[in-house]
Amino acid sequence: MKKFAEWLAKNDYYKAWFKDAWPYVTGAVLLSVFQIVTFATTGSPWGVSAVFANWGAWIIEAFGGSVDKWYYFASEGAQATLDRGFFQDPGTMRNIGLIVGALFATLMASGFKIKKLKSGKQVIAAILGGLLMGYGARLGFGCNIGAFYSGIASLSLSGWVFGVFLFVGAIVGSKMLVKWFM
Amino acid sequence: MQEVMLDCLGEACPIPLVKAQKKLEELAVGDVLIVQIDHSCAMKNLPEWAREAGHNVEIEEVDDGEWEVVIEKVK
Amino acid sequence: MSDTSIRRSSTARPRKKKKSQIPIALLVGLVMIALGVVMSVFSPVLGFFWFTGIAFGFILQKTRFCFTAAMRDPYLTGGTNLTKAVLIALAITTLGFWAIKYGAASRGLPIPGQGFVVPISLNTVIGGFIFGIGMVISGGCASGTLMRVGEGLTMPIRSLAFFVVGSVLGAMTMGWWVVNFVARAKAVFLPDVFGWFGAIAIQLATILLLWIAADKFAKSKQKVTETQ
Repeated sequence: MKKFAEWLAKNDYYKAWFKDAWPYVTGAVLLSVFQIVTFATTGSPWGVSAVFANWGAWIIEAFGGSVDKWYYFASEGAQATLDRGFFQDPGTMRNIGLIVGALFATLMASGFKIKKLKSGKQVIAAILGGLLMGYGARLGFGCNIGAFYSGIASLSLSGWVFGVFLFVGAIVGSKMLVKWFM
Repeated sequence: MQEVMLDCLGEACPIPLVKAQKKLEELAVGDVLIVQIDHSCAMKNLPEWAREAGHNVEIEEVDDGEWEVVIEKVK
Repeated sequence: MSDTSIRRSSTARPRKKKKSQIPIALLVGLVMIALGVVMSVFSPVLGFFWFTGIAFGFILQKTRFCFTAAMRDPYLTGGTNLTKAVLIALAITTLGFWAIKYGAASRGLPIPGQGFVVPISLNTVIGGFIFGIGMVISGGCASGTLMRVGEGLTMPIRSLAFFVVGSVLGAMTMGWWVVNFVARAKAVFLPDVFGWFGAIAIQLATILLLWIAADKFAKSKQKVTETQ
């Protein structure tokens, strides 16, 4: 195994496929392929953030709470998803698969490292950023994937509107980042 | 000729790039800036930016998931 | 690379002997495939989502594809490489989705995926705006945060936890937003307005114009730094 790893590390194909970063445009093409395959197979485009609301609901239920009265979870579809639970939810499996796929790619390049936090500012940025993204994604019916990428590709005007304000928000966020979090 | 180390370990995008841009402006032509990073995206966008700006760039893999981007200011 | 080697006076920090992580990688690869096979036997849908999730994660990590940088870099660093890549992704995916939707409509079948054509209201505006702020200060969007958890970053795990908290708060208050804004808002499906062929033409032309604008913008920024 060790010998194999050493041999692989010197192999040119390994370097090109697993060690070095691929061009952005390759990413654009491959993501599109999997978006289209996903849409053709499941009848629904790729989405990421709706799953996070379900994770929250399961955590609340695990502590004995209930979200049944919330408008957001009131529909039959939402209730059915919640009843199936964490391990039988396809969206959950896709998000965990995404983490594992990235982990696999990182390990194949020998680039995995548990990073240390540099300052308390980073913690505040992570918390604030996470909260804003979570709340924003629910308001906008999705995140940069569901509302923006899949929204525009679905020929919905909402995707373009969301995108414009995503851009405006990113500029304001950049100013905040440089001022307070750097 | 000066050599400056910039420690960006533990910092996520876009901070390494913004810091490197600022630092490089302060340096004179011929100076070398070494940016230490452990963020894989910065490992791509920092050298890309520096090359497009016309500087000489080298990447050294220091450890698993840790790199030093060596930028020589050309103009 | 034709770059001549840069002379540096200091050597890097004392070199540790790098450990190859490939053996662990292969182990992780085996486990993830085995899990996927088990899932597929149990439920093909779960297996499909699992494997496509892995594909999305692998692609995002390998190409360092980043929606946050695409939105942020034009303003912050003057770079538009990722902006242009995102526009290319939008164009190709639009073509594929359009074909599937048009194919269904022309055979008189219900159009799939219309759940993603959502009403446009103040929600969309505020949602996009605060999501944009959030992804820049936390250093990653929804997909980016997940991907960076896989890379071993400590910060995105916190972002992810609070992404969940924010989502719960959003779900909790959704009723109020729906009553006040969403209920009166309209969803606009572009083919309803411009026709099937008009919609695809207008959308692709818009994307092309944005791509050209992004390209020109980066070049003009480059010139500014050169004359300084």
